[in-house]
Amino acid sequence: MSVQIDNSQPAPLPLAAGTARGPWATAVRRLMRNRSAVASVLALLMVALLTLLAPLYASYLGVDPFRSNLRGTIEIAGEAVPVMQQSTSGLGLGVTPIGPTWSPGGYMLGADNQGRDVAARLLYGGRNSLYIATAATLICLVLATLIGLVAGFMGGVVDMVLSRILDVLWAFPVYLLAISLSIVLLTSTIDLGLFTITAGSLALPIFIIGIIYVPYVARPVRARVLTLRQSEFVLAAVGLGLPTHRILRRDILPNLMPTIIVFVPILLALAIVTESALSYLSIGVQPPDASWGTIIQDGQTLLYSRPIVALAPGIAIVITVLALNVLGDAVRDSLDPRGQVP
Amino acid sequence: MLATITARLAQMVFVMFGISVLVFLIFFATPGSDPAARIAGRNAAPETVEQIRQEFGFDRALPVQYAIMMKRLFITRDLTSFVNRGQKVIPQVLDAVPATLSLVAGAAVLWVLGSLFVGVVAAAMRDTVVDRGLMILSLIGISMPVFWLGEVMNLMSQSRFHDTWLFSWVPGLGYVPLSESLGGWFKALVIPWITLAILYIGIYGRILRANLIEAYSEDYIRTARAKGLSPTRIMLRHALSTSLLPFVTMFGLDFGALVGGAALLTEVVFGLNGVGRLTFHALQNLDLPVILATVIYASFFVVAANAIVDMLYAVIDPRVRK
Amino acid sequence: MTIWTRYATLTGAAALLSATALTAGAETREEMMAAHRGGEMRLVAAAAGGTIDPQINYTLQYWQLFYFTYDGLVTFKRVEGAGAGEVVPDLAEAMPDVSADGLTYTFKLRQGLKFSDGSDVGVDDVVASFQRIFKVSGPTAGTFYNGIVGADACMATPADCTLEGGISADPASNTVIITLTAPDPEFLYKISVPHASILPAEAPLEDAGVTPIPGTGPYMFESYNPNESLVAVRNPHFKEWSVDAQPDGFVDSITFDFGLSAEAQVTAVQNGQADWMFDQPPTDRLAEIGTLNADQVYVNTLTAFWYAPFNTNIAPFNDVRVRQAVNYAIDRDALVGIFGGPVLAQPVCTILPPGFPGHEDKCDYTANPGTDWTAPDMEKALALVAESGTAGQKVTIVVDDTSVMREVGTYLQSVLTDLGYDASVNSISGNIQFTYIQNTNNNVQISVSQWYQDYPAASNFLNVLLGCDSFHPGSDSSVNISGYCNPEIDARMKAVMQLATTDPDAANLEWAKIDQAMMAEAPVAPLFTPKHVDLVSKRVGNFLFSPQHQWLMSQAWVQ
Repeated sequence: MSVQIDNSQPAPLPLAAGTARGPWATAVRRLMRNRSAVASVLALLMVALLTLLAPLYASYLGVDPFRSNLRGTIEIAGEAVPVMQQSTSGLGLGVTPIGPTWSPGGYMLGADNQGRDVAARLLYGGRNSLYIATAATLICLVLATLIGLVAGFMGGVVDMVLSRILDVLWAFPVYLLAISLSIVLLTSTIDLGLFTITAGSLALPIFIIGIIYVPYVARPVRARVLTLRQSEFVLAAVGLGLPTHRILRRDILPNLMPTIIVFVPILLALAIVTESALSYLSIGVQPPDASWGTIIQDGQTLLYSRPIVALAPGIAIVITVLALNVLGDAVRDSLDPRGQVP
Repeated sequence: MLATITARLAQMVFVMFGISVLVFLIFFATPGSDPAARIAGRNAAPETVEQIRQEFGFDRALPVQYAIMMKRLFITRDLTSFVNRGQKVIPQVLDAVPATLSLVAGAAVLWVLGSLFVGVVAAAMRDTVVDRGLMILSLIGISMPVFWLGEVMNLMSQSRFHDTWLFSWVPGLGYVPLSESLGGWFKALVIPWITLAILYIGIYGRILRANLIEAYSEDYIRTARAKGLSPTRIMLRHALSTSLLPFVTMFGLDFGALVGGAALLTEVVFGLNGVGRLTFHALQNLDLPVILATVIYASFFVVAANAIVDMLYAVIDPRVRK
Repeated sequence: MTIWTRYATLTGAAALLSATALTAGAETREEMMAAHRGGEMRLVAAAAGGTIDPQINYTLQYWQLFYFTYDGLVTFKRVEGAGAGEVVPDLAEAMPDVSADGLTYTFKLRQGLKFSDGSDVGVDDVVASFQRIFKVSGPTAGTFYNGIVGADACMATPADCTLEGGISADPASNTVIITLTAPDPEFLYKISVPHASILPAEAPLEDAGVTPIPGTGPYMFESYNPNESLVAVRNPHFKEWSVDAQPDGFVDSITFDFGLSAEAQVTAVQNGQADWMFDQPPTDRLAEIGTLNADQVYVNTLTAFWYAPFNTNIAPFNDVRVRQAVNYAIDRDALVGIFGGPVLAQPVCTILPPGFPGHEDKCDYTANPGTDWTAPDMEKALALVAESGTAGQKVTIVVDDTSVMREVGTYLQSVLTDLGYDASVNSISGNIQFTYIQNTNNNVQISVSQWYQDYPAASNFLNVLLGCDSFHPGSDSSVNISGYCNPEIDARMKAVMQLATTDPDAANLEWAKIDQAMMAEAPVAPLFTPKHVDLVSKRVGNFLFSPQHQWLMSQAWVQ
């Protein structure tokens, strides 16, 4: 009798939708299903949009937020009120900028020391701050990951040299360098062949901030790499004789992602604040341009009379960093198939 | 072991020497840094400025000036400031050390305890309201510039609410030496400690939480859970110990830098006569002797802290082997 | 009873008068001394003021202290207000006999005076002190005291300075004779400032630094740590010899603490933790202290001005039209607002401040030229810029990093941008900025600076700031920041300084004309004249202020 050999495949199980996709697509899908992640992306987009629309807002208000407006007036309830108000009580000392009007029609958050509209400057400032902070954070993370990876994995002399370089970087008095740079760039420029650096080049704060925080990320990365180097799958890969760059790329780097991602919102916030110190020294964002950092500095001199000027950019920073943090957590969760805390 | 330590010490000296040379070069590369006219005084006659220049040796070659300054700093130890003439630099720095140490040590205790609490609780109660709340607080802590926070603390504790029960115990700004009064020392430092610690609690809390969550996905935690260990025990004895590596690494970086004078804005805002404030004034005045002294002092602590942390790796996480 | 400072505000901004009024019932000094003597006065400042050597230190911060720790042969009268411009005999018994040709001054030294270390004050100390000015290379050695015979030799080789022929002493008759190379109507002023303090002959022949030198005043410095504090206590060997020159002090000790920021200083004084703050209150506290602490605030006129020097030797400010345009365009009321309002500042258009000898109210660079500044004239300014054809050029304003000056700089940047320039403003540390803007190698086009009087003479402003002799290209010490040198006006200034020896009033009229002649070429843009704000604690009494000494600290009490 002939035996029928059933060579057909068993009936395919009905595949659950989506399981046939790759890991990246899975990650994205899970991300999109995470409500807080979506919310944070939307928040970030809103912040970005608002800052990009700054010129529109300024023209709607009819103000130039970069022009001193010390003798200007605004209309409140039909009356022309001076933007810089002289004290009339007691000895009549001091001139205070107008406080928040809370009306989008003008001086919503009040005026600063030059009589300029803080809300409009906040929007413009967002562009500079976000640009500088994002670029600096990227540079820092890329450099730090590279250095930490190589130092941690290679060990020996390479590790020693790189670690000492990190030591020098971390111990270096950046403030002195910044003061020196600011004086050098006062009335001259530095010519580097391809580029010229002036006091107002945003490349300056971007690179300074990007580089000075490298040790802060590189050393934890290096520590993590030292641990990972002893894990079984890495030892196996080494034993198999796989090339180093493959091991680094395929085995170690993905396991570093959580360590690196958690630094993103931290670095961003630190970058914005550090930028404020640099622009105080006239490096980077120059007056009358604004960044959240410069507005905070302006607000320092108004702390006792108009605290909102320093508070508003701080709140903006918190919102941005918060959204990024939520997003970062969600990204990390979606990439990691197992992360579960009981 | 001894060989490693010696090698490390040699590297440390090299780093410190390198930084001092860099600082020296940057100073003289800065236009307007020439101290002669500033030392001579406002509107001094050209002859006077020239006399000062010769007296202080500013007309000699840079390497010679560097050598002389290093000699006066380390060998004869009589290097004096350009701005506060006659005041020796080394005693200045040493006098400032207690204030900085007090500030940094106290803040460190606060931030280590605080971030441990925040990190552990946030990881344990992940995705609950508590976790979200702690995350928001941490990020607020990171986003507040220290100079702003310090001034706001002063505004509240010294000015606006000074007379209320909340802050009436706060003494005037300034450092009270421990030898003078323990209570005074403590009361004067409480608010500076909190101000300095808030930033680091935010950072370290986030980092610890992330590491803990990652640790929980490891196999040994699954094993521990399968063994029936209590969640607290798992968290505190297994997950935490392996998450401490990046924590300790960063602590070494931060503590080392702070002891060396990185808390300069905190010291300035609270009127604490520490190494940070000394550095700050020296930089503002381009007072080269004090700058050199404080930079060498700071780099020593940074490098030493990193060296100690490296040696602690093997203790903390046995998986780390060279 | 406390002395109040009253002020009158005129609507429409501009002129402000400051007058002092004594309260009724003058208590005698003995009564006041009996009632209020004693206590410790606590002062605060952000930073120390440098060396404690009175012949080198050139800061207002420490000159205030030197006035009650050291004495000269003569000194400025220790009274409030304009009376302090009068020179009175101090260590000398009486005003000196001046020879007919104005070259020789003969001083008779008082007997029986002692330094704080117990040694007697003798004529050899006087001679040694004048020699010491050159030996320590004091900042004014070459500017104030180079008129003494033998000074050039001293400037050339300070270590061997003898001032031979310039100063001689006769111990028998207790007289000192100073001989000048040319008559100098300002000589008595010059030896009244702390740089000419009489110190013991054994005082170290180099910068004393942090080691106090014994003095003759009612107080002596006990200890000085520039990072912590400066302590002055009563001089046990002091006996009051002249109330006008060096009155005894009320408090037993004065402690000057360093390290608090200006904001913290205001709060400390408000809380009674300090009695006075050296730094000016930050602008965001002014309204608060003017309201809550009105009876603890004293506002006084200073003979000083804020100005923006133009570099007259490089573009675009080498064109007089551009300089005039900026003068027309600046809204000085806006700057007054930045400084704290019309109560604290007043717009100026001349180099000599109001109330100064030689000042005449005049303003050309305003909408309606006349005696006062009223409003900017932007049209005229733009027309001048168009004429000069310099629009579009890059201009950098260099200011220091104090908050008021940064705001002034930002405002000036806005003005220059309105005028059509590509303007930017840079701030550098205050201790560096002043020397940086003086050095022509740095090519600073425009900056912002302040000038305070050393003594009440017009030359102290016009000749020092804008005379050819004050311009030293390539040097950090070239206080003629504008680099302005007009030989004709320079000759007029030399002539009027001669005239002042014989006819001071005519000289002052001529100074006014010189002022206007200079302003016609606008080497600088005068901005405003500031008033000084002193915030004291509740317990401080008898607050007296003079433009020369500022707050007469030794005359106030704390209990």
